Amino acid sequence: MKFTKFIVGAFLGSILLSSCSDDDDFTSEIDEPLGAYDNGILVLNEGGIGTVTYISDDLQTSQQSIYQLVNDGDDIGGYAQSIFFDDDLAYIISNGSNLITVVNRYTFEIVGKVDSGLEVPRYGVVYNGKAYVTNQGDTLDGGVDDFLTIINLETLEVEQTIHMGAQGEALEFIEEEDGKLYIQKSTYNLGEKITVFNPTTNEIENTIVTNILVERDPETGEIIKQLGLNSFEIENNAIYTLSGNKLEKFNLNTLALESTITFAYEGDVANIDIEDDQIYFTVANSVYMMSMNAEEAPAEPLFTYNTTSQWGTMYGFEVEDNRIYVAEGGDFVSDSFVEIYDLEGNLLKNITVGVGPNGFYFND
Amino acid sequence: MKHFISYILFLSAVSTAFSQTDSITVLEEVLVIPTKLEEFSTGQTLTSLSDSLLLQNKPSLISALNFNSPIYFKENGLGMVASPSFRGTNASQTAVLWNGVNINSRFNGQTDFNTVNTGSYDEITIRGGGGSVIYGTGAIGGTVHLKNEIDFKDEFSNRIYLGYGSFNTYDKRYQLTASRKNWSTKISYSRTNSDNDFNYIDSDQKNINGEFYNTSLNAVLGYRFNPKSTIKFYSEVFESERHFSLIRPSENKTKYEDVSLKNLLEWELSDKKITSITRIAFLKEEYKYFPNINKDSYTFGEANTLIGKYDFTYHFSEKVKLNTILSHEYTDGKGSSIPQNERNISSGTLLLKHLVNKKLAYEVAARKELTNDYESPLLFTFGAVYSFTDFYKLKLNVSKNFRIPTYNDLYWATGGNPDLAAEEAMQYELGNEFKFNNFKLTFTGYYNNIQQMINWVPGSDGYWTPKNIDEVKTYGGEFLLNFKKQFGAHHLAANATYAYTVSENQAKKKQLIYVPYHKATGSMYYGFKDFFIETQALYNGKVFTRSDNNSRYNLDAYWLWNTGVGYHLNQQFTFGGKLRNLLNADYQNVESRRMPGTNYTIYLTLNL
Repeated sequence: MKFTKFIVGAFLGSILLSSCSDDDDFTSEIDEPLGAYDNGILVLNEGGIGTVTYISDDLQTSQQSIYQLVNDGDDIGGYAQSIFFDDDLAYIISNGSNLITVVNRYTFEIVGKVDSGLEVPRYGVVYNGKAYVTNQGDTLDGGVDDFLTIINLETLEVEQTIHMGAQGEALEFIEEEDGKLYIQKSTYNLGEKITVFNPTTNEIENTIVTNILVERDPETGEIIKQLGLNSFEIENNAIYTLSGNKLEKFNLNTLALESTITFAYEGDVANIDIEDDQIYFTVANSVYMMSMNAEEAPAEPLFTYNTTSQWGTMYGFEVEDNRIYVAEGGDFVSDSFVEIYDLEGNLLKNITVGVGPNGFYFND
Repeated sequence: MKHFISYILFLSAVSTAFSQTDSITVLEEVLVIPTKLEEFSTGQTLTSLSDSLLLQNKPSLISALNFNSPIYFKENGLGMVASPSFRGTNASQTAVLWNGVNINSRFNGQTDFNTVNTGSYDEITIRGGGGSVIYGTGAIGGTVHLKNEIDFKDEFSNRIYLGYGSFNTYDKRYQLTASRKNWSTKISYSRTNSDNDFNYIDSDQKNINGEFYNTSLNAVLGYRFNPKSTIKFYSEVFESERHFSLIRPSENKTKYEDVSLKNLLEWELSDKKITSITRIAFLKEEYKYFPNINKDSYTFGEANTLIGKYDFTYHFSEKVKLNTILSHEYTDGKGSSIPQNERNISSGTLLLKHLVNKKLAYEVAARKELTNDYESPLLFTFGAVYSFTDFYKLKLNVSKNFRIPTYNDLYWATGGNPDLAAEEAMQYELGNEFKFNNFKLTFTGYYNNIQQMINWVPGSDGYWTPKNIDEVKTYGGEFLLNFKKQFGAHHLAANATYAYTVSENQAKKKQLIYVPYHKATGSMYYGFKDFFIETQALYNGKVFTRSDNNSRYNLDAYWLWNTGVGYHLNQQFTFGGKLRNLLNADYQNVESRRMPGTNYTIYLTLNL
């Protein structure tokens, strides 16, 4: 009875830059909206039936279930997991319905669907005109049958399936950097590997092994807690991972472990996000911030948010453009909320979204 | 016919509540011998469905009860997992008893009403309100009793029922009864299977992966040594496989397999002063869930339960009796996420019934359980009935009931919480029963305060874990109306139920999801010589699907109408047919689960 733990996708920031125009431009060029949902934040709500909430950039207006609204009540499937982008298109993954819904990211009008060849899809990324999507397949097998699908974006058909699972190596998050795909082989913090995949040759080139925390009963020697890789981010030619009770930094070229910071918080660290040379992460309902150069973990959180229930905490987390976004999972049977903070930890806004919000995406 | 329907529609327009129920009972009165169920339900209301009524409905327990009782049902698509909400309580707060033995799953505390084939039973009785003192865990909203009856008289008979209906649905039931003065045998077999691939209304999609079958074999053997000593053996094997229907074609196809075995040996000794009943029961439940039917992997659960019970009644006089029940239950269960665990529960119960005079009767009872696995409260009940006149009775009942933590709650890895206590519910009810001429009207008001309700909530470590956190208050009213009349060759019967239900989570002050404020049922039966016609109606009010009662996500109220006709060709043959959802209502009982439009069943009954 685990619930899907959201693992932050920080790869969006870089992709999205292209559609921005600077407002300090002399000609005072106006950022013409490309659709009703440009210039704002998209919140993915897991569901039941997944929905997307739109929040305007000034945080003053929001709209629920925008996909259903624009597309005559059609929906994006059960248990919406994540969204990935390619130019003007957004690919919304539903892991409960084995479905990817393709929409124009600014108008949210449907473009097409990938509705075969997937089995419990999780995260995706586009490289060189193709989408690479991780799938967990049989979720009872501990990762053994997990696979990567390669989707032809012209036909929206799965053109190749590459098996890469193993016991304890369930596929999760995927990120592209310099023509390589980095695939997290750990779900629910159970694994300890990141696979480096070459999409040109379709070969696995390397594997990074991260820290795993194992606590044993001092009397019996029985394992009472096992905590592996939670999330990673690639920044400045390095891979930063939150794994067990450690932040680890690996050199992207040599894959060698360069530095380690050990945490000693009450709860488990999660949700790494690096923005403007600061590393952000969460522990329970608190957000921590530290410099990329720091040698020690911060003692005090930047802020702690109030939860209506103490259980569905930090179901989504993202730092973007000087704002910190946190999503409260709530009770998963009613609309929940997100909160937006500034970098000092001051609350800017609390906004009601859908059921089980798990991710933030940005239409700048 | 048209006339008849418009008449019914007119009736319903006048009063939302009225129109029909257990039609056929009028024709074949079941011989009533006061059972423990009847004796110790003082101040409460029982509704019985006879086997002839059961033959008029599809064989699943939900079909039998939905149109004939105030219990609301949540069905996850036609034929899929179905759970009751009795008086606003949740799925594990209705106890289902098989010949007196509590058969709710040891894993989730519930009975799936689509995995009980009613073709095996002679009578089903519904008892509203608390019953934990006698019936144990889960008897909070009410209890549903599945009963097999045998008689010691000369009889040899066979009954065959064959039904066929829409979506390639077969319903076969066979019963053999053979008895003499000192022995009795009844063997029942029932099987139903369906492609369950109905088309969605106004859509080019159909119900995918909904096929199911189930088979039930039931035997009762009795031997009477002498008028004071009788031994009975009840046994049932049930097996089913259901594919779970998809919402979208791209989803994984899943299926669920269920096997259960129920055995009960009962030895009764009685004379004028004492009744002594010794019971030994053995129950086995086993399920397998396949998250992808194309693969071999599955999750499972398997539990064996052995119950020993000694039940002793001393009759001080015709008016006062004292009943003691001692019981011990041993369960051994395990599952793919549940390490093997054994559980022992002992309990002692004391019941006193006193008929003070012709007008007043009351009972008091208490029960205490002893177990190491959870905290269990002292349970009690007090019930009284007072007959003011021939046509008016007032009933009162106060009881404390409970639901024990299940195997899933206690032992699930990871997340199970060994520190759980039982849910406790304090209930008050007041019933009024009016009888005049051919009418019987019962109106019951109740209030139920359920505390430390077990609810699974997401834990901070990523696992769901159960806690005794919820407090729910339910209150409301139930109306039951029965009417029957016979004049010449005409038989007329009508039944109606209406339930008004408030079920409020005390932390949020919101109505529970999937509990409608209003539910009404009605049925009308008219027989003339060898011909009969019946109509059933069901109204389910709107339900909330979100815990904050956000009305944007409500499921709309709906009406369902069924009508059937039949003809008794001779003593042996009866044939007939039934149309369901006459108005082709496009409704959802659970969010995103489309239900079928108008569909039919035809059947043939042979009595040999």
